[in-house]
Amino acid sequence: MLGKGLLTGMAVTLREMFRKNVTEEYPEVQPDLGERFRGGRLELNVSKCIACGLCMTNCPNGSIKLTTVKDENNKRQLNTYVHNTGLCLFCNLCIEACPPKCIEWSKEFAYSGYSRDALIFDCMALDKQQSAEDKSQTTEEKG
Amino acid sequence: MKDNQDILLTIAATLRSFLDPLLGQPDAVDVAMYGVGLAVILGIIFGNAVILVWAERKVAGYMQSRPGPNRVGPIGLLQTVADTIKLITKEDIRPKGVDRWVWFLAPVVLFVPTLAAYAVFPFSDGLIAVDLNIGLFYFLAIASTVTIPFLMAGWASNNKYSLLGGMRSVAQMVSYEIPLVFSLVGVVMLVGSLKMSSIVEAQSGIWFVFLQPVAFLIYVIAATAETNRTPFDLVEGESEIVAGPMTEYSGMKWSLFFLAEYANLFAVSAIATTVFLGGWQPLPMPGALGEMLAAIPGWIWFAAKTYFMIFLFMWFRWTFPRFRVDQLMAFGWKVLLPLALANILVTGVGIYAYRMAIGG
Repeated sequence: MLGKGLLTGMAVTLREMFRKNVTEEYPEVQPDLGERFRGGRLELNVSKCIACGLCMTNCPNGSIKLTTVKDENNKRQLNTYVHNTGLCLFCNLCIEACPPKCIEWSKEFAYSGYSRDALIFDCMALDKQQSAEDKSQTTEEKG
Repeated sequence: MKDNQDILLTIAATLRSFLDPLLGQPDAVDVAMYGVGLAVILGIIFGNAVILVWAERKVAGYMQSRPGPNRVGPIGLLQTVADTIKLITKEDIRPKGVDRWVWFLAPVVLFVPTLAAYAVFPFSDGLIAVDLNIGLFYFLAIASTVTIPFLMAGWASNNKYSLLGGMRSVAQMVSYEIPLVFSLVGVVMLVGSLKMSSIVEAQSGIWFVFLQPVAFLIYVIAATAETNRTPFDLVEGESEIVAGPMTEYSGMKWSLFFLAEYANLFAVSAIATTVFLGGWQPLPMPGALGEMLAAIPGWIWFAAKTYFMIFLFMWFRWTFPRFRVDQLMAFGWKVLLPLALANILVTGVGIYAYRMAIGG
């Protein structure tokens, strides 16, 4: 029939009108990023870290900088741990190399800033912040 | 039937009785009432444009599985208001080398006939600014002048793309004007009058969309082309001719083009309602349901049908891809025009056959 294609097209668009929207309303609704998402900051679990420095040596861009100190038992302890996301190419090699699996990607991807310095994160400070937040949350729950 | 509807007519009568002692002379009251009518029509045009811009974007959104405007105001209702404020505050740029007066007048000349066409729309029984004997003819005559400002804008812009766009839009509008007019002739033959109110009253039994289905189809297609909407929006074929004749316009001048576009959309939908869908007549239903439907005021019926037609045009826009210019011309002249002429012939023969069968 002549013009059947037109009617088919109109049926498709009309059906689409009553379907659920697929738009994610981003600032209100955070996207579901999935298990293997790469692109956040590095989230470091300081208590698990053995300060071996494999993440730093594996990084092709030198975006991870860490320093260590020896404690009274002559064991290496983490002193500073800095992740420069401005240099990072999110290749995941640091995470694959980590023996105790103490670093992982955060799901936070919207951390743009006005200067390059805003892209440099002190992961130890962030970890402390995180644990402090956790603590305050648990106390709130208790209270 | 007249007493239940037309709160609007009551308002008009109240206003008239209020003005009567105030102005004294009947002529002065008439003039004042025409002024009020003009204000109402302007309100309809502006209010409509605001609603239609929002509605178009909502329809577009939903047809593409996205929500459309939803940030400004509840469900995005204030989006058009924000757009309007933006347009008003925009700098009005006049490019060097434009033909100053022609360029300045083009949006005005486009808007005025659009406004004038609203005078003959029968919004309800008795709710019509001027019920001319030649109402339909008046509308077509007025509507056909909108080709001139497009050519004016294209030529005066001193820009070859605008000129090409203007020429193309004029060629398109002239080509589709003819099937548009001819599609209405069948109905005029059936009614025997060009008066808008007579055309609506003739449809109290059966709507003309059922008697003249081919004419309705031709009208809808030609009206889509006349209003420069997809799939006939060659005027704005942005990949080919930038944005057509309105490329060089900005701010309020551009928004006048836009306003006229939506006013025209409402106009062709209103004419489709009047001529084919029974105007302000309720849906003919037997029994109690029919009485219930008849209790709804005529202007609500008129608005509902008009908005249905507008939705149809929006539906077309977000479904069909654009025509190529040669296809467009061939379709207009080789398909629509012969079809419209054949429809007139068949209608004429049908009328004679009917009269003979009745024995008149």
